[in-house]
Amino acid sequence: MYFRPDTLDHAVQVLASSGGQILAGGTDFFPSLGDRPVTGTVVDISGLGEIRGVITEPKYIKIGGLTTWTEIIQTPLPPCFDGLKAAAREIGSIQIQNRATVAGNLCNASPAADSVPALLTLDAEVELASQVGIRRLPIADFIVGNRKTLRQPGEILSHVFVPRAIENAASTFLKLGARRYLVISIAMAAAVIQRSSTGHITDARVCVGSCSAVARRLRELELKLIGAPARAELGLLATAHDLGDISPINDVRATAAYRRDAALTLVQRALDACARGS
Amino acid sequence: MKKELVGLRVNGRTHELAIEPSKLLLDALRQDLQLTGSKRGCDDSSCGACTVHVDGIPMLSCTMLAASCEGQEITTIEGVSEHGSLAAIQKAYGDWGGAQCGYCTPGFIMTVKHLLAENPKPTEEEIRGALSGNLCRCTGYNQMYQAIKAAVEAEQKGMAAAR
Repeated sequence: MYFRPDTLDHAVQVLASSGGQILAGGTDFFPSLGDRPVTGTVVDISGLGEIRGVITEPKYIKIGGLTTWTEIIQTPLPPCFDGLKAAAREIGSIQIQNRATVAGNLCNASPAADSVPALLTLDAEVELASQVGIRRLPIADFIVGNRKTLRQPGEILSHVFVPRAIENAASTFLKLGARRYLVISIAMAAAVIQRSSTGHITDARVCVGSCSAVARRLRELELKLIGAPARAELGLLATAHDLGDISPINDVRATAAYRRDAALTLVQRALDACARGS
Repeated sequence: MKKELVGLRVNGRTHELAIEPSKLLLDALRQDLQLTGSKRGCDDSSCGACTVHVDGIPMLSCTMLAASCEGQEITTIEGVSEHGSLAAIQKAYGDWGGAQCGYCTPGFIMTVKHLLAENPKPTEEEIRGALSGNLCRCTGYNQMYQAIKAAVEAEQKGMAAAR
């Protein structure tokens, strides 16, 4: 069965009564099928215009789940989104960015999902809609493992909320892949650095992705950065010890040791870039 | 899946197709509409040979359903000619050897058409970045970059002559 609801209300009703897989941009959905045809029930939510686009609210910037990565890149947003925009430019190819959605990247919850480190540094929250209503939870709680989230079968990720409290902070995202374009990351780092008028760091968020089942914030390093002067060699404050309990794996793309080494370099470069930009 | 009627707008014409809703846009174009310009290269979103425009935006027709495109305007390589003759970029690809075996060419042309519509005077770096989602295993790309630059120059000259 194939359904293409045109409102969110209708979509959650269909999901509740028929179940099935949710199809949005499809850029992970179809490649994961390989040569197999689409079977079972499909709820195609690509027509739900009401959960697409970015809205600025008093306390949050609200991103519709069906917003594409190209739309994120093209929407004028405060500096704390520079990291998320940089991540958006690394997702697949331009054709994929034109189709793939914010909700899809989060719900597929790949350890290598490019948007997750940046959204974790923004303390973003997800809103899940179902027939019984909506609920909100931090992305840090939502993604619980390798391709595992707390999304229930009847829920649609309808919006992402980014708190505006640090919207003027500098942010960045760096990804290491085996080549420049169209590549799954070996390691990635995102950082958000807010500084006071005297140039000292008042808030720091640093996150490493592709080096554990879920991207990890480096809380000890963040605490160490607070109060430090935000200058060009800020990255030197990060050491191997600060990578804490990331648990990179050996796979076809890199060894664990290489990933750990690359992650530290990316963190240092991300901090340097934020210090220059703040 | 059971066949359903799906309305598709392709290259300015409306078609009613009785197809399975699980049918990929690429298959609907090639099998039901006989528009075989768009190619299946990889089936995992890495080659760009199936690139078409959906409401003017380049997308991969191998990773979307035809049924998802109801109400949207699809443009394929068959729809980019201008007044019955080759578009400037198609002609430049021929002149500069931008196409060799030709399998990837329709996808590239769709990508380049969008690039030039958004950015009429791209730098070489912008051209390389824009083409990064399309793969070619024959040309080594340089002939394509030359073709695109030639098309941009021809367009500039044409505009200057028209003034």
